[in-house]
Amino acid sequence: MIQETGTGLYSGILRFYALNDVRKYMKELLERYQREYDKSSNVIGSLLRAEGGKGMEVIMSKGWAKVGAMFVDVTDPEKGGMELTFQLVTEMKPRIAKTEEVLKTFESVEALPIPTDATFLLYLHSGIPERLVIDTTEPRPEAFAFKGDFVTIQ
Amino acid sequence: MADERQDVLEVTVIVEDVDAARLSDKANENAVSNYSLNVSLAERDRSTEHLVLSYSMELTSQPPTARFKVSGSATLKGNKEEIREGITAADMNRPPPVLLIIYERIYSTIYLLAGALKVPHPMPNLLKKGS
Repeated sequence: MIQETGTGLYSGILRFYALNDVRKYMKELLERYQREYDKSSNVIGSLLRAEGGKGMEVIMSKGWAKVGAMFVDVTDPEKGGMELTFQLVTEMKPRIAKTEEVLKTFESVEALPIPTDATFLLYLHSGIPERLVIDTTEPRPEAFAFKGDFVTIQ
Repeated sequence: MADERQDVLEVTVIVEDVDAARLSDKANENAVSNYSLNVSLAERDRSTEHLVLSYSMELTSQPPTARFKVSGSATLKGNKEEIREGITAADMNRPPPVLLIIYERIYSTIYLLAGALKVPHPMPNLLKKGS
């Protein structure tokens, strides 16, 4: 399977040992979304410009047919693929906006009185950071240190 | 950040500093010599998916005809259970697995230096002193 485009949107729970790591992760997530958005919207924009004034019909396929529980395009692969890219771009906009908003207002989370050994559970829903648990039940592991004397043997 | 997709501990060892010295004119690379090894490991950075350790090792031959000091970093990548296993010794007399991995990775460097200095080559395995 080869992923043509898209950001590998993730739903799940991620654990972090530092709140700053949560911020860093969300920042990287947003940058990834923005890169993907730019790339996909450039593809759409180039096609629309090349087709000069034809409008949205150049990216809307008429080859879709419902087969089983899904839609399949077997007659117009170029427009079918472009239509999927357009759908992806449309869905990315609110995702980027929401992630941006979370990041912009993250200071208010950082201002909370957080125990020093707390860890953090971030809940992502379709790639959007939606919830955060400040977890004091599973603290950050103690800093590892080891000292020892050995002899080398065959 | 936790990443459940990883299923094997990956260890990257970087040598940042090496110091090697021939301490005696009587040193002979063909002589059998035990080396004592003083080692320290310390946490430099940690997330749920990686742990970066600083390591420092000093090997001194017995009798003292050669000394090697090697330091650097070791990065363990895996899930938190794999990382925990990597730094936890099976018992008090054994080194933590990550130490064996670090020694294994730097051994070739020490071996080559021992040859260049014409001093005894250290042995490839480790045993805790007094065990």
